[in-house]
Formats: sequence, C-alpha cells, structure tokens
Amino acid sequence: MKRNEFVAVTLMILSTIGAIFAVSSYEFYRRRTPEYFFVELIARSPNNGNWYPKEIKVPYGKKVKLHIRNIETVSHGFALPDFELEPEINEIKAGEVLEVTFTADKKGEFPFMCTVWCSEEHLRMSGKLIVE
Amino acid sequence: MSKDKLFGLIDMDWRFELTKFKLIRALFKSRWFPLLPIIFNLFIFVIILLAGLLGGYSAGNYNFGIMIVWILWWVMLMFVLVPVFSRTWCLMCPFPIFGDWVQRGALFGVNIGKPGGLNLKWPKALKNMWVMNIFFLVTTFFSGFFTVRPLATFILLGLIILLAFIMGLIFEKRSFCLYVCPVSGFQGLYSQFGMAEIRSKEPQVCKEHKLKTCYLGNEKGYGCPWLLTPFNFKKNTYCGMCLECFKSCPYDNMAFNLRPPGVDLLVDEKRGLDEAWKSFIMLGIAMVFFLSMQGPWGVLKDMVRASTLKGYLTFIGVHTFFSLLIIPAVFLFFSYLSKVLSGNKEVSLKKVFINFSYTLIPIGLGAWIAFSFGIILPNGSYILHILSDPFSWGWNLFGTKGIPWTPVFTHLLGYLQGITLLVFYLFSLVYGFRLSLQTYPKFQEAKRGWLPICALLTLTTLAFLWLYIG
Repeated sequence: MKRNEFVAVTLMILSTIGAIFAVSSYEFYRRRTPEYFFVELIARSPNNGNWYPKEIKVPYGKKVKLHIRNIETVSHGFALPDFELEPEINEIKAGEVLEVTFTADKKGEFPFMCTVWCSEEHLRMSGKLIVE
Repeated sequence: MSKDKLFGLIDMDWRFELTKFKLIRALFKSRWFPLLPIIFNLFIFVIILLAGLLGGYSAGNYNFGIMIVWILWWVMLMFVLVPVFSRTWCLMCPFPIFGDWVQRGALFGVNIGKPGGLNLKWPKALKNMWVMNIFFLVTTFFSGFFTVRPLATFILLGLIILLAFIMGLIFEKRSFCLYVCPVSGFQGLYSQFGMAEIRSKEPQVCKEHKLKTCYLGNEKGYGCPWLLTPFNFKKNTYCGMCLECFKSCPYDNMAFNLRPPGVDLLVDEKRGLDEAWKSFIMLGIAMVFFLSMQGPWGVLKDMVRASTLKGYLTFIGVHTFFSLLIIPAVFLFFSYLSKVLSGNKEVSLKKVFINFSYTLIPIGLGAWIAFSFGIILPNGSYILHILSDPFSWGWNLFGTKGIPWTPVFTHLLGYLQGITLLVFYLFSLVYGFRLSLQTYPKFQEAKRGWLPICALLTLTTLAFLWLYIG
C-alpha cells in the first residue's frame, strides 16, 4: 500500500509541478537556440495599443527568429521591406502565431508594418527595427 | 417485470449491468480507478490553466484552455457524458482532489483514522441546489469573456479549484461538489435523463447487511463522499459516481447499469423548487447563449461582451429576470391552468408546479445538445491546431499546427439541431404524461391536467426551433 501511495503522489506531482516545469523548460530551451536571436512581437490594432514592442533592437549580423502573435479577433499582416523574410507572410489570422526568420545584415533603423486592413487606424500600425 | 414501456418499445425496468463483466468490476473495485483518470485530467487542467494564464488577452480560437474547456469538454458533457453516462464527469473530475487529499491524508489508500480539515457540516438551510443555481447563473454573466479571453477562463477555473480546496478544508467530504460546484448542478439535474446509473443489485442483501459500509466506509473504501446512502439509491441527481461503494461493499452488491433514458424523472424523491428552478435557469441560459453566441444579432454580442457598461448591465438584468422570474412565471401560469382543467382540488399548485417542472429536463437537455452542435461543427477543427500548439507559442508537437480552420458538416447544422430538439421533445411528452398520472390520482384528471403542460412544451420546442433554424 505504501508503494502505491508513493506512486500516486509521484504521479500527482508529475501531473502538476512536473507539467509546469516541462512546459517552461521546453519553451526556454526553444527560445535560447544559440543560432538565432529570439524576439516575440504582439500584433494589435493601434487603438488597442499597436505593435508591442514598437521598437525592436537586434544585434547586427545575427539571424533573427521573430514570433508574431496576433492576439486580436481580426487578421493582421507583417512586412519588413528591407529584409528578406523566410517564409513570407500574407496574413496572420486572429489568434494565430507565425514564425519568420531573417538575417540582420544591415545596420540602421527600418520600418515594419501591418499589411492587412485591420481597422480604421490600420495605417498607423507600424513599428521600428533597430539593427546595431 | 413492469408493463410500462418507453414509446411502447423499451421496458422501463430494463437494465443491463456492465459490472457483471469481471474486468469492469475489477476495475471499479481497484483503488487506481478513478484515481488515474483524475490525475490525467489534473494534468490536462494544469495545461488549461497555463494556457489561460499565458494566453492572457489573446484571441480564444488558438488557445488550448478555451478550446478544450468550452469546445471539447462542454460539448462532450452535453453530447455523451451526461445524457449517456450520467455523472461520469464527476467520477474523473480533478477539482476536489486537493481537498480530498487533505481530508483523507492519502491519495491512494484508505485512511480510516480521524479525517483532516475541520469537517464541519454544510448548513442545513443550504442543503439543496440554490447555491449552485445562483453560482451557475452568475458565472454565465461572464460568458462573453470566457470564450474569447483565455485569462477569463483561467480566473473562473482557478476560482473553482481554489474554492473546492478551501471548502475541502472546512466542510466534510464532498460538500463543495454536492452544494456549490456550478458544473455539478446541471449534471445532477440532467443525469436524471442519463442512461447509466449506480444502484444496489439486491435490496435484500443491503437490508441484511447491518454495518452499512457503503455509508460508513471500511479498509477497502471510504464511506460515500457524497454523503448519500448507496444501499438506497433511487435517482442519479446527487450521486457523483466516485465508485467508493463498489470498493467498500463486502458483498459486491453495487451495480453500474445501462437503462432507458429518463427513468429517474419518474422517481418521486427529493423533488423540490430548487431542482425546478435549475430546469428554468438551464432553459433560460440555453436561450440567452444561443441569442448572444450563435444568433445574428450583433448588438446582443456587444452587450454580452461589455462593449458598454450600460449594455452589459442590461444584459445581466434581463438575463437574470428572464431565467429567474419570467420562465418560472410562465410555467406557474400553465401549472395553474393544468390544476384548473384537471378539476382536482386536493393536489396543491406547488406539487403540480414542481412535478411538471421535470418535463423540462429532456427539452432543456435537447436544447443544450442542439446548441452544442453549433459550437463543435464550426469550431471543432481548432482543436487539432491547439493540440500541437497549446500556448500559441508556435509549437508543432503533433504536426497539426498548420491545419486550417475547417467547419465540418455545417450545412447539416440546422437539420441536426431540429432533429435533436424534436427527439427530446418527444421524450418530454412521454414522461410528461406519466408525471401527470403521478400528480393527479384519477386518469381523467391526469389527461385534462396534462393538456396545458403539453401545449407549453410544444410552444417551448417551437420557440427553440424558430431560434435555432427558423
């Protein structure tokens, strides 16, 4: 009986604390891939706060992995015209998360913007990428 | 053998005992069951809570918490778990596990010593469904957020789990499940329609067994955590199917049976206004949910989602008034007509009102199943996506992340909803007349008294048909 109790408690711990630990470890490992500089970008219409962060700083010469997370119930798009995105993005549907990569091979400040008519304020939905 | 047959086809006393199969009985007697399903569901709910918390204010369609709770779980409850297996969700529900652990001092074994926690008795005045009724109704005030905001789902589930734990520390056994849990209330009500039951096999064996171990417990199993007397079960409403009575019965005299749907509706035990109001509230919520979630009226959606404070308060006021007062008032009027038409002066209006309120259970369940078709068919494909990417972090665990939103059989939605409503309407009719025979002592009185209720059930079904497919 004591062995069964031990197994039950172990399973309970694994299903709770273990699950939280496993999820956070996996995501932490995924994000700190040494090959890439990781950035998460949240897509919101300007009247709901606009891109977050509005300014992204990345190191020169590094490959950048960009997670774009549309947290709204309308579609957004993403364009960074000065760089070649892999893959290209046409539309980020409501709730969707897309992953794109590019190489920050130019120094300076570069605009990024939404490419889908998402609200009346759509034209203001832009941000800045700073490569330094 | 009873001569009463449902639709003239199935003997109302027909039972098929699943636990006559040795494997199933062995499973039910093992202490690993339902502990393992509970621990598995605990794991799922940890992921749901994490997704709710980390998903924050993001949209709901790609969130594991929202999709599993409001699309998969809710639909499973309404489609299968409640109408077929009665209260099997309670069997595997992880919410009370922490309170149980504190009370029992063990997860697996049976600790027959003094229980942990304060073990106070739940107040006698609240030993009914009223708290659950109010809790569930209040929960629906926030329905406009639960399905679109992961954080709202996190807060709701977090509160329920926390409350279950705190109540486990203070009150005896499963007082939370019995008297407070909002999910428990409607399951209890609709499980009277369910096609499964736990009952004693031979009442005589229970009668001769002086030490009621199913109630008191022994070294094999706890006394009924739901504070019931399993040797005397007559209806499903308050049995959480925890299976402790299978473990503690030394004569293997408990059975898990399949049965014709709805037979508990005719069990005249513990009927009361609390259960009647539960029927009204569930019916009202089904209507309001359809109007605000699946109907074409954008202005209602804006009100429910609190676009303006005035609109939101109007929604709460009208919703509460409609479910708590308007529906019961209409039902009272038809009950009064029933009494007058029956010509019987001895039966009280209260008894007529309460007895006939059980006719709303099949219709209400049918309305919820029909509503659930409108949830799962358009949105079910999101589940494949969120299984691979539960936190919207761009994971692709099972390679299904890229599956686009694909509505399934939505061209059949209206037909499925219509057929469901009509089938459950028929159940309401066949049980309604039997309830009338229970209410009025003479056949002719029952026939006359049944007419207004039959008219009301028909009007209610027509209203739902108009709403869903009109």
